Amino acid sequence: MARHKKSTKEPEPDPDLDISSLIDVCFLLLIYFLVTSTITPRETDLSLQLPASSPPADEQPKIEPMFIRVDASGAIFSGTGAGQQPLDTDVSTREVPLLDSQLELYSAAANSAGSKPLVQVYVDPGAFQQRVIDVLNALSGAGISSVTFTDLLE
Amino acid sequence: MASSKLRKASAAADDDAKVDMSPMIDMVFLLLIFFIVNATAIIVQTDPEVLPPVAKNSEKQKDGSGRIVVNVHEDGTYTAENFNVILKDETDIFDLVKTQKEANDALGEESKLHLRGDLNAVFKHSRTAIRAAATAGVDQVIFAVYKTHKGLKTK
Repeated sequence: MARHKKSTKEPEPDPDLDISSLIDVCFLLLIYFLVTSTITPRETDLSLQLPASSPPADEQPKIEPMFIRVDASGAIFSGTGAGQQPLDTDVSTREVPLLDSQLELYSAAANSAGSKPLVQVYVDPGAFQQRVIDVLNALSGAGISSVTFTDLLE
Repeated sequence: MASSKLRKASAAADDDAKVDMSPMIDMVFLLLIFFIVNATAIIVQTDPEVLPPVAKNSEKQKDGSGRIVVNVHEDGTYTAENFNVILKDETDIFDLVKTQKEANDALGEESKLHLRGDLNAVFKHSRTAIRAAATAGVDQVIFAVYKTHKGLKTK
């Protein structure tokens, strides 16, 4: 009996895994990434369809196209000739409130006439890219996609 | 001699030592998940020398297919998506757009001009690129902009 007792093994203790060090490292890495990471803005799209691609309309538009001019200093004007009206002249800000309101009025008038709003933009060759984008941004905000760069027709 | 015995004994003890790999594997998976979650798909390769303007009403870039990238630098020089390729003039832009349009057509993708103009470049250079693209048969233009320059390294 004594020999029999010797051969029986004692039950092994449950294996324990000490995960505290793992959690320490996890938090350390988390803090490291939180501290070092910076949120970099990503580039976005401002789309424009040039009129050459759209099929020619069968009928004349019911509303006159709106004419916008951007001069070399970045000042924005609407209309042509004697009816030309200065809008936003402050180039230090990205806001163009007067152009926005004009576009809103024109867009509403075009919609009530059952026509698509059409805008022609003349940009002085010396105007900065940012100012032109300000105008295109306002057009995009007003939901106007039919834009013609009249200065392309040279 | 006593020291050699001790050495033998300690060597026997070292043989039993095992490294627990499970925390390391856990960490590797954790890092893998972190990088997968944080990764963002690159739509187009961007020239770091060009800083596009700001437009609040712009939209998030969705699809990178069919984009023909032309960078317009502040000094009026042009580069392609691979910004080591310098486009000297309108003819070079026309050739680039035409070649890439043919490749896109073969793939059944609609070609678009992805114009990355620097905010301080004068518009006549962008106009030249638009004109060259239109001549080559690409009339959809996407102006690359930012919603904000906040958090960006500006020049």
